[in-house]
This record gives sequence, C-alpha cells and structure tokens, in this order.
Amino acid sequence: MSYLCLENLVKTFNKTEVVKKLNLEIKQGELVSFLGPSGCGKTTTLNMIAGFTEVDEGKIVVDGKPVHLLPPNKREMGMVFQNYALFPHMTVFDNVAYGLKLSKIGKSETQRRVLEALEMVRLSGYEKRYPKELSGGQQQRVSLARALVIKPKLLLLDEPLSNLDAKLRQEMREEIVEIQKNVGITTIFVTHDQEEALAISDRIAVMYEGRIEQADSPVSIYNHPKTDFVSRFIGEVNQIQGKVTEILGTHQSKLNFYGNEQIVAVNAMKNAEMDFFIRPENIQISLVETNDRNIGFKAKVERKMFLGAKTRYILKAQNKHLIADISNVVLNSNLIHEGSSVYAAWKPEHLLPSRNVR
Amino acid sequence: MMQKKRKKTKKQLETWALLLPILVIFIFFFLLPLFFLFITSFKTFDASSGIANEWTIQNYVKFLSDPFYLGIVWRTVKIALLTTIITIVISYPVAFHISKANGRIKNYLTLLVLSPLLISMVIRCYGWSILLSNNGVVNNTLMSLGWIDKPLTLLYTELSVVIGMVHVLFPYMVLSIMGSLERIDPSVIRASQNLGAGPVRTFFSIVLPLTLPGIFAGSVMVFSLSVSSFVTPAILGGPQVKVMSYLAYEQAAVLLNWPYGAAIGFLLIFIATITIIMYSKILVRSEKGVAIQ
Amino acid sequence: MKKRLPKIGFHFFCTIIYVFLLAPIVVVLMSSLTATDYIVFPPKGLTLRWYVELVNHPEFMQSFMLSVFVALGTSLISTAIGTLTSIAIVRHQFKGKTAIVQLVGSPLLIPSVVFGVALLQFYSWIGLAASPAALIIGHIILTIPFVMRLVVASLVGFDRSIEQAAMNLGAGKFRVFFQITLPIIKSGVIAGAIFSFITSFDDLTVALFIVSTDVVTLPVRIFTYMQYQYDPIITSVSSIMILLTIVLMIIIERVLGVGKVFASKNQ
Repeated sequence: MSYLCLENLVKTFNKTEVVKKLNLEIKQGELVSFLGPSGCGKTTTLNMIAGFTEVDEGKIVVDGKPVHLLPPNKREMGMVFQNYALFPHMTVFDNVAYGLKLSKIGKSETQRRVLEALEMVRLSGYEKRYPKELSGGQQQRVSLARALVIKPKLLLLDEPLSNLDAKLRQEMREEIVEIQKNVGITTIFVTHDQEEALAISDRIAVMYEGRIEQADSPVSIYNHPKTDFVSRFIGEVNQIQGKVTEILGTHQSKLNFYGNEQIVAVNAMKNAEMDFFIRPENIQISLVETNDRNIGFKAKVERKMFLGAKTRYILKAQNKHLIADISNVVLNSNLIHEGSSVYAAWKPEHLLPSRNVR
Repeated sequence: MMQKKRKKTKKQLETWALLLPILVIFIFFFLLPLFFLFITSFKTFDASSGIANEWTIQNYVKFLSDPFYLGIVWRTVKIALLTTIITIVISYPVAFHISKANGRIKNYLTLLVLSPLLISMVIRCYGWSILLSNNGVVNNTLMSLGWIDKPLTLLYTELSVVIGMVHVLFPYMVLSIMGSLERIDPSVIRASQNLGAGPVRTFFSIVLPLTLPGIFAGSVMVFSLSVSSFVTPAILGGPQVKVMSYLAYEQAAVLLNWPYGAAIGFLLIFIATITIIMYSKILVRSEKGVAIQ
Repeated sequence: MKKRLPKIGFHFFCTIIYVFLLAPIVVVLMSSLTATDYIVFPPKGLTLRWYVELVNHPEFMQSFMLSVFVALGTSLISTAIGTLTSIAIVRHQFKGKTAIVQLVGSPLLIPSVVFGVALLQFYSWIGLAASPAALIIGHIILTIPFVMRLVVASLVGFDRSIEQAAMNLGAGKFRVFFQITLPIIKSGVIAGAIFSFITSFDDLTVALFIVSTDVVTLPVRIFTYMQYQYDPIITSVSSIMILLTIVLMIIIERVLGVGKVFASKNQ
C-alpha cells in the first residue's frame, strides 16, 4: 500500500510541458530521491507536492487523501529549502516554533518540542541566535528541525546540501539519513548529485525531460539501467558497438567486438550492429593475452591518469577510445606506460544493452 | 483546465486589487488635473473669469517670440547648468573623502552630508539670505578685510540662486557618486598600481572613468531638479531673478492669467524632459563603455 | 613632506565644503539669539526674547500642527499604497506593467509648480476647498515615487522561499505577509515612511497653491511671513524646527539605526 501517490501529473509553463504525465508511488517511511539534470522537472514536481506550484492535471494522494487542490499551508508537509529559507528576523527558537504556534499548540508543549527538535539536530543551546549568526551547516539543521517539529506527513528536501562545501555535505547527508530513519518519516530528496542519491536513497527516481526514466533501488539503477539516459547519467560509460555473427537461441547471441567474439545474453538479428554501454571499472586490462571466454583485444594506452585508489587509462582500439578504471591494488600502474600495448577485456554480463535501435 | 483558468482570473483580480488605490489617486489627482491644465494652456485669458472659452496657441507663441521670456528660459537653463557643474566639482572630493573613510567616521560624514536634506528647504534658503544680505556675514567680512568699500549685491542675484541650489542639491550628487565609487572592485585599483600606475594616474585612468555613470546619473537628477525648482529661486532670487517656475507661479497665482501660466508650465516640462532624455542616452552609452572595460 | 601637501589640501577642501553645508543652518540657529529688532549675523547680544515672542504668534503653532497632521497622513497613506503597488509590480505579471511603473514615477519629472497649478485648477473645478485632505492628496502624489523606489528595492532582493517555508508550516496568505514579508522589508518601508513625512512636511511649492487663509502649512507660513516682515521671529521658529528635526533623527537612530535607513535609501 503506497503512502504517497503521484498520478499522471502534468505541469505546463508557457506552453512547455515541464512535467509530462508523471507517475510514482512511495511507501511509508521510504526515502526516495528525485535525481536528474537541471530542467528535468524534479523541483517542479516537488513544488507541486508542496503546493507552491499548481497541478495542471493529475492527482497527488497522501495517505489515501487527495491533496493537490489544497493550498500549501493546509498540506502538512515539512520542507527544507536549498537556501535554508530561515526567517531572518526570528531567533532559532522562534523559527522552529513558528509552525507549532500556527497550529495553536500550547506554550509548554511548544517549548518542549522545539528543544527536542533542536537536540535532534545537535543544536541545543543555539535557541537565542539569529540565522545570520550561524554557519551554513547549522542553518540547514535549523531548517530541518523547523520542518520536522510539526510532525509533517512528508518531508521534502530541495537540494538541501548544494550550498555546503564537499566535506560538510557528506557529514550532513549521513546525518539527514540517520534522522530520517529514526523519525521514520516518508521523505523526498531532490538532488542533481548522483553520488548523493546513490548513497542515501532507498529508491532513486531518475528524471529526464519531465518523466521518470526509472525508479529503483540504487543498486538496480546502477547495475541494471533500463534506459540509455539512465545508463549515461548514472556513473560513467563507454559506448561500444558489436556486430551479431550468430544467433544461438532466444536471449543468446554471438557478437563480434573489435575483432573478438563473445556470447552475450541478448535477442538479436543476424548481422545487426548493436550498441552497448560498459562502465570503465568493468574493463580489465592485462599485458598478456587472456584465453578465457571474455574476449580480449589489443589496445594502445594513449594516456594514463593516477587517481589515487585507481588509475584511469584512455585506450585506443580500432580508432575508438575506451576509458578503463583499474584499481591500483589489482594492477600496478607503474607496469603500464603511455604508448604501450595491452589487452583489454570485459565480462559479457557487464555489458549494458542500449535501447537505441540502429 | 477549467480549474487553472479560474485560478488565473483570481490572481488577476488580486493584481488589480493591489493596483486599485494607486490608479484611482493617480488618474483623478494627477493625470486629470494635468490634462485639464494642458487644455487650459490653449485657451485665451479673460480678465474677469480667468479662462475664456476660446482656443488659441497664442500663449506659446507669445512666450517663444518674446526676447524677454526667452531670456528667462536661458537664465533658467544657465542656472541649472552652473549648479550641475559646480555640484559635480565640489561633490566628487567629498564623495571620495567619505568612501575612503572607515567605520564610524564614514557614518557620521554621510549623516553630515545628508542632514541638510532633512531640514526644511525654506529654512536653509532663509539661512543663505541672512548670510548673503547687504549687512550679512559675507559682506561684513569682506569689508572688514578692506577688500571692498561698500557691500556687494549678493542676494537676489543669479549667484545667490546658484549658491542656494548647490547647497540644496549637493547631497543627491554625493550619494550618486558615492554609489559608483563603492561599486568599484578594489582589486581593479590594486591591479592598476601593480602595473606601475601611481595614485594620480590610477585615479584618472581607472577611478574617474568607472564613476562616470554615477556622475551622469547625479547630473540628470541635479539638472532636472534645479530647472524645475521653485523654492530656492523664489527665496534667494525673488522677482529680480525670475526663472520659469517663478514665472509660471506669478502668472497663475498672482496675475491669475491661468492659460499663460499653464503654457509656461508645459514648456518647462518640455525642457526638463528633453534634458533627461538627452542625458539618459549619454548615460546608456557610458554604461556600455564601462561594461566593456 | 612633498606627499603630504596635496593630502592636506584635499582635507582642507573637504572641510570647507562641510562648513559650507552647515553654514546656513548654524546661521539661522545663532541669529535667533539676537537682541536686535532686525536679523543680524553674528547676533548682537544674547537673548531668548524671540522665542518668548512666539507666544504672540499662535498662527505658527497652528501651522505647525497642521503640517504635522498632513505629513503624518501623507506618510501613512503613501507608504501603504506604495507598498501594495510595489508588491503588484515586483511579484505579479500583468499587462501594462511598464506603463504603470512610468506613471507612478512621473511625478519626479513634473515640476512641482506645474503640478500645484494643475491641482489648484482641478480642486476649484470640483469644488474641493483648501483642507488637510486636499493637501494630503497632493503630497501623496509627490511622495509615492520615493516610497516605491525604496520598497521595490527591498522586495527585489527578497528570497521568496522564506515565504514558501512559512506557508509550508501552515501560515495563510495574510499571516505570511504580516509575520514574514513585512518584518523583512521593514527597513525599506520605514525609510519610505520617513522620506514621505519629510517631503510632505517640507513642501512649499504645491502647498502654496492649495492653502487658504485659515489652512496654512508651516513652510507657507514662514515663506509669506519673511516676504513682509524682517523681525527675527522667523529665526526662532526655524531654530525650533531644526532642533526638532535633530531630536527626531536621534530617536530614529536609536530605534532603527540611521545607517540602516540611509543604506536602503542608497539603493
């Protein structure tokens, strides 16, 4: 039974459809990220859920009740904004207490819950400060406390970490997940940072041009992308082509890559050219030819870049470039020089078939 | 879709509700009166009723063909130009001085420069009339120094009007120049010094060009305010130094020749508008220049 | 030594200008203390007789009260209307926006003399007699452009997500405006109110056309008095006004911080 239900949401701005018949169901207590490039409609969708943007068509149902016609102040959702949006003329205490005062909660109860919320975000003792006296991370925590203290039905986070520096960003995202799990609140997290989405989400909804391309667990999104956009957007990929040389049965074909043949689990037609994606970390290289069923082909190392734990090799085979990331534990990068010849290989199960019909 | 339309009209209703008060007051008490006055300026004068019901362009012709009246136009523009130039010359150092000062001193100096704005213009001009009168401080000082034998006529001259106007309009120019001085990125000045330019060179090749938009903006304001100002010429110039605004006042309120007063008023608006348009064209050009730099 | 000379010259020049700025004000204050029957500077003798003499001139007090009333009315209405209009202009999309912006700014381009004549003619046609209301209406037109400038400036930089946050926490439209928006744009609104009070209180030109024998604002009273009389009573009236302004500024500074008010004016 889903807790939040987005049904056929449509939003048009100036005759451009920004959100196109979007559907998504979210379970209670789940943390779902909306991930996509800027302009993909993720923030618009979030604003429709919060009520800041009117829904042109479709429905938003929370806990069995449609809410898309309610004004934002009647939706009982807690939102954390990218720029924190703290009330600059109120103290930290008053900021957090604002929502409670509006719902006419008694003074002592308000006091208790505000202090509790501030303790939860580790800001006890900051009650009397004004927002401008706090650091960015602290402001964001106040914003989180302010959103959670009203016990909202849904927690909405709009790129909450993008104004923080890299180190703080990692700390904060772990803190957010911890709080979210403790409170058990259903949460939507909008971000354009895929690493962030992969790290914290129960599920990721990858969005592109107003549609959800795939909504799945981080592992499935990464390993089994369902569309070309997801393949390209999440992680890095090499695009390669292979020619079908033999059909071995349903879902079993032999393909020729760079002059080597490999059996891949796809349906194909004989002599067809097929596109595949392969992630850089799934390419192996060695100095000697391998004999196993993974095809090995000759390639030249054009450049190598030391990246700490791994080394990135830019390979050239049959006039095409390939990127391979190899752990320095697996292969000592000192053994391979720019200009030297190597053998490259991959396992067929790592090939991500492209939907691009040629 | 229906729902969307209804929301839209609701939003529009809200917009017009917000605008209603200002529209009512501006249409009824600004546009309509000016429109009627414009019509009046094309009527003939009638000694008994003021405005006769006959159309004419004689009011404009009379003004523009009489050397006496044209002389007043020239005086009005001359006083405004002099005021603008003198204001620029004395405001720049002050603006520079203030923007270089720091912290508290800066606040106090800003307050000092702006404080005349808070004190009634009538009183300030009155103060000048005391200073410049025949037995005022200026004349007494000059005489006791033995530089002159008998008092100079300072009050009710173009000079006294210019002095009063500079005093009244000075703060606007300082604010405008200070604004552009403070927008200059300090690293630009450091870069200039780093490339070997001395302070004087840096000032003339970097600071001054970058503050030109501020000077222009201030000039537009000072010029248009002084062309149309009434209080200062009325108190420090009086009937001896008539400017266009005083003439319009005299015709309409003293001689009760409304049509003629109205015509003078609209010619004044015309002159003020022309200058502002000319100035703003220069302003746009100079701002483009700065943007390129 | 060679380097310091221009610097000293520069400071000297600036000091002269600061003296020039204060000169007429100081002169008025000092000449009010003269013992003579005519205005003279520097004053001869020291006396407060011209302040005592004010008792025989209740008309100045009447005019002062009228001016305060008109300025307060102007300031309140002008700030309220100006704020509403600014909100519409900054936050709403509608046809004819530029036209309205230009209309509202145009009183700055119209010489006050012309506006005064126009208003006088219009008032006499519609039969509106000289009254505080007639003055207030004229002054609203004069001050609205300033209010708009200040309030629009404070609204333009306004981060709307702050309002969204309040709505999200359950605040309705009006509550958001009075509890969030207004407190945040406060400095612009207050600066606008102060500016329109001063402009209205100081206005001679428009008032000169509207006043009648029993409805006379203080600037008009002073202006007409000094055209016919040369006794120093004007200096004592003026001095009281100058002192009141200074006291008012100190109060505002204490309550708000002048720096803030002028900072927003600067924009």
